[in-house]
Amino acid sequence: MAVDGKIQSLNTAIKEAIPHMQDVADENPNAQVLVRAVKFSDGAQWHVSQPTDISDFKWDDLEAGGVTAMGMALGIVADQLKIPPMTDRALPPVLVLISDGQPTDDFTGGLQALMNEPWGRKAVRVAIAIGEDADPEVLKKFIANPELRPLQANNPEALIKYIRWVSTAVLKSASAPASQTMAASVAGLNVPIPALPDAGGASADDVW
Amino acid sequence: MDPISQWQIIGQSVRGAAHERQGTPNQDAIGWLPKSGVGSSLAVSLADGHGSARYVRSHIGSRLAVKTSTRLIYSFAARHKDAANLSLIKRTAEEWLPQALARAWFEAVKEHLQENPLSIAEAQAVKGKDTAEDHTIAYGTTLVAAGVTDAFVIYLQIGDGEILTVTDGSEVKRPVPNDERLIANETTSLCAENAWRDFRVAFQPLTKSRPSLILLATDGYPNSFRNESGFLQAGSDMLKTLRAEGVSRVRHTLPDWLRDTTRKGSGDDVTLAILYPGKTRVQNQKRRPRPHKSKPA
Repeated sequence: MAVDGKIQSLNTAIKEAIPHMQDVADENPNAQVLVRAVKFSDGAQWHVSQPTDISDFKWDDLEAGGVTAMGMALGIVADQLKIPPMTDRALPPVLVLISDGQPTDDFTGGLQALMNEPWGRKAVRVAIAIGEDADPEVLKKFIANPELRPLQANNPEALIKYIRWVSTAVLKSASAPASQTMAASVAGLNVPIPALPDAGGASADDVW
Repeated sequence: MDPISQWQIIGQSVRGAAHERQGTPNQDAIGWLPKSGVGSSLAVSLADGHGSARYVRSHIGSRLAVKTSTRLIYSFAARHKDAANLSLIKRTAEEWLPQALARAWFEAVKEHLQENPLSIAEAQAVKGKDTAEDHTIAYGTTLVAAGVTDAFVIYLQIGDGEILTVTDGSEVKRPVPNDERLIANETTSLCAENAWRDFRVAFQPLTKSRPSLILLATDGYPNSFRNESGFLQAGSDMLKTLRAEGVSRVRHTLPDWLRDTTRKGSGDDVTLAILYPGKTRVQNQKRRPRPHKSKPA
């Protein structure tokens, strides 16, 4: 399938997930869910620049093209996770890295910038690989936890399921995290990760 | 400076709005001595049991922390209230009290475990993915406490929560140093190895100035404010409200304030203690009660 097909599937999956995210947010009036997005190709920039309440969130379609400036994207996110503008009193951010390729810039530097920030380290980091061209080792480094592996989406249905899972089950868990000791967090994830969805099989004509 | 003849306390703990939705108990606890809440020496303790799955008895751990801490600090304050050597009291408070508090809690938990061993399900929850099987982890909790006398105030804290002091001129301060390790839902804990090392302690002699109000809270209270300044404002607003409305009315309305706070704010259990010198008297008993101005997010 062409790159355009992947990006259209991603746009569809995100749009499909929005009402489900809104439902999860409505169920927990004690958490405010704000959403932002960074896009990266030849460079990286905010696609949704302002933290937007999920009830007002709309998705403008992304277009395919260029290379994979993933390191720059991580650096942009790291800047916004500094304290300030973040406060030390917040729920852990959920960072979802979605990619169909290999990083073409300084990924290690971008990841280091992210992990240098306390909120970068404490964020719930999930990665979705679209198709077989994505580098799972790079995504594992981003997640930095052996208990959670990158999600491999090899067809549009799997992509929809994974994005729905991140935007509902993971969001719900991160919105109401119970307290725990630092020692427990060092041993594992600081937010319990719900069971992964079954991505299901794929027919021969819809595999990327 | 006039001596303070009496300290007084108002305190309350309410179950979190999210805990009510989930059917989980109030894992916070609060207690003070003397039980009358009035005295020349007074000790108060608040504790917040960890909510994660492996801390299956944290609601008991927090109560044990409050019980042991309040007794120890009250005894310490009463024993030293007339002592002239404040340097010695300060050093003892900083060096001995954290170890004594951690040890007393651990002994209380051990005793509770001997009488009430963990069930198989509880033991499995505690064990998690670790190979270690320290059942005291089931009782994991934070602790925020203060001991006051005519001559000094001791503040002690392990884990999250807040202590604020408010001066007569409404200046709000944090007496205990910040712990930058406390971020997201992670906290230091009485159940950790060498927990006494994680205590933050402050000693305030009352020779020159004294707080007009001391506010202690578990993290469900500050987390209910949209930002830091809103929470700090709550400290000075509380003093104004006490002066305007009087002690008994604040005490009467406090449970409703806190229920409103958790419902509109963090959803977590909320526990608050307010200590003030006895000179803060009821100004006008006939005025109608009204909540303090600072509102949660």
